[in-house]
Amino acid sequence: MAAVAIHQFAQCITCHAWSPDQSMVAFCPNNHEVHIYKLFGEKWERVHLLQKHDQIVSGIDWSIRSNKIVTVSHDRNSYVWNQEASEWVPTLVILRLNRAALCVQWSPKENKFAVGSGAKTVCICYYEKENNWWVSKLIRKKHNSSVTSVAWHPNNILLATTSTDGKCRVFSTFIKGVDSRESGASSSSNLKFGEQIAQLDLSFTWAFGVSWSPSGNTLAYAGHNSMIYFIEDVGSSPSAQNVALRDLPLRDILFVSEKLVIGVGFDCNPMVFTADETGLWSFVKFLDEKKIAPSSSKYGSQFSEAFGKLYGQSKPAINSDTVESSRPRGGAHENCISCIVPLRKPGDTIVRRFSTSGLDGKVVIWELDNSI
Amino acid sequence: MATTLRLYLTCIRNTLEAAMCLQNFPCQEVERHNKPEVELKTSPELLLNPVLICRNEAEKCLIETSINSIRISLKVKQADELENILAKKFLRFLSMRAESFQVLRRKPVQGYDISFLITNYHCEDMHKHKLIDFIVQFMEDIDKEISELKLSVNTRGRLVATEFLKQFI
Repeated sequence: MAAVAIHQFAQCITCHAWSPDQSMVAFCPNNHEVHIYKLFGEKWERVHLLQKHDQIVSGIDWSIRSNKIVTVSHDRNSYVWNQEASEWVPTLVILRLNRAALCVQWSPKENKFAVGSGAKTVCICYYEKENNWWVSKLIRKKHNSSVTSVAWHPNNILLATTSTDGKCRVFSTFIKGVDSRESGASSSSNLKFGEQIAQLDLSFTWAFGVSWSPSGNTLAYAGHNSMIYFIEDVGSSPSAQNVALRDLPLRDILFVSEKLVIGVGFDCNPMVFTADETGLWSFVKFLDEKKIAPSSSKYGSQFSEAFGKLYGQSKPAINSDTVESSRPRGGAHENCISCIVPLRKPGDTIVRRFSTSGLDGKVVIWELDNSI
Repeated sequence: MATTLRLYLTCIRNTLEAAMCLQNFPCQEVERHNKPEVELKTSPELLLNPVLICRNEAEKCLIETSINSIRISLKVKQADELENILAKKFLRFLSMRAESFQVLRRKPVQGYDISFLITNYHCEDMHKHKLIDFIVQFMEDIDKEISELKLSVNTRGRLVATEFLKQFI
């Protein structure tokens, strides 16, 4: 259980995405550009540079089956990039937003994508063949603040959003002519576009990073009050579980399997959460720890951390080894991790590898061993 | 360092560590703007509860947090008029050179002597623990600096007075 590969691509990375065969990575180096790097032998080399936005790019998603890249930016625009020969050709998506776009995700069937924005709206975009452009439909007046994250349910209809008003909401995004009635579960396909199915009011402060489990039964999101929330059976009879963290809040989360969640955030170290047989979720460990400390020694390390803080300035050499275990400094990431992406081969059902990127400009690939 | 000062600084350090979880966040009210929310205060939901840490009435630290910025305001100890004037002059000297400190605010928040403004851009460029170290180190040094200044003013005053009074002997 460790980081498989660490690549320093830039000073700072806002978001990244992998090509379907995972030979290429697209990321934004904290400016208006999107860089695409490809692995040649041992070295990563830049093969494409996508320049169309004029403000920081806040979200990238690369569709697995159709090989399209969608990017959104604080300049209120979104582009869908299509590879033609060796060039990436952009198509402007008229989002009809008047504030920054913050996040984007392709739907599982890749016929739609969702954009969360600072205009307190969510755009659902789909392709219209007759006009040869991407059309956006807005879900308005449901959010009271910026939409920080979006996640598609595997049935391609339901969309979960988190917002800085602290709520997590689930919407139906059924679009006539794009989705067929039998495509989704029977209960969710009768709903109109933009209908709110659930509003989860668990967090007192901003909510970030929402994710569905592979089956779509469980929904998880993180709050800025260092909590992570798990909700089972969102549609019919939701039941929620809150897990409070000892450490700094999370920014993004990922369901690896039905019973395993990875959370990343301000602690610079991915956290593992698992559910036991009874469905009770709990924090297990940090991914980046050299050795797994038994729970009894936690207090010891906490004490030595406090000790290190008091004396750390004058005598760093003495307690550097004791402070290290709880400080994120020695880990793979040195700054806040803002993005976690599964590395999923087409046809794979379980995710064993995923990558994280953060404000330190690194993309780190992690591989799960069989112990968890 | 006195024990109480150490506790005070540890408390501030821990609070800063928890509070300094910032991210890039564009303005919700104005198109294509990206400004520190703690200064603008346009959307109340983007602000967190401010934390006030007091050592005593004269020494306190106010930490205001928002989604993309944090403001730290300090009130330094001023026991007498001389310390008052020294602190005022010294902090004014620093504030005038705020650009070279990057995280220093040109004007302190009302009721405080000096303010820092840390945005998500600072957290992207600099290590968070180094930023916190800087603030705490600053607080540690400012008291020392002012008492040193006070000492040298007093020494100088005594010397001048001795020299002046020599002529009457």
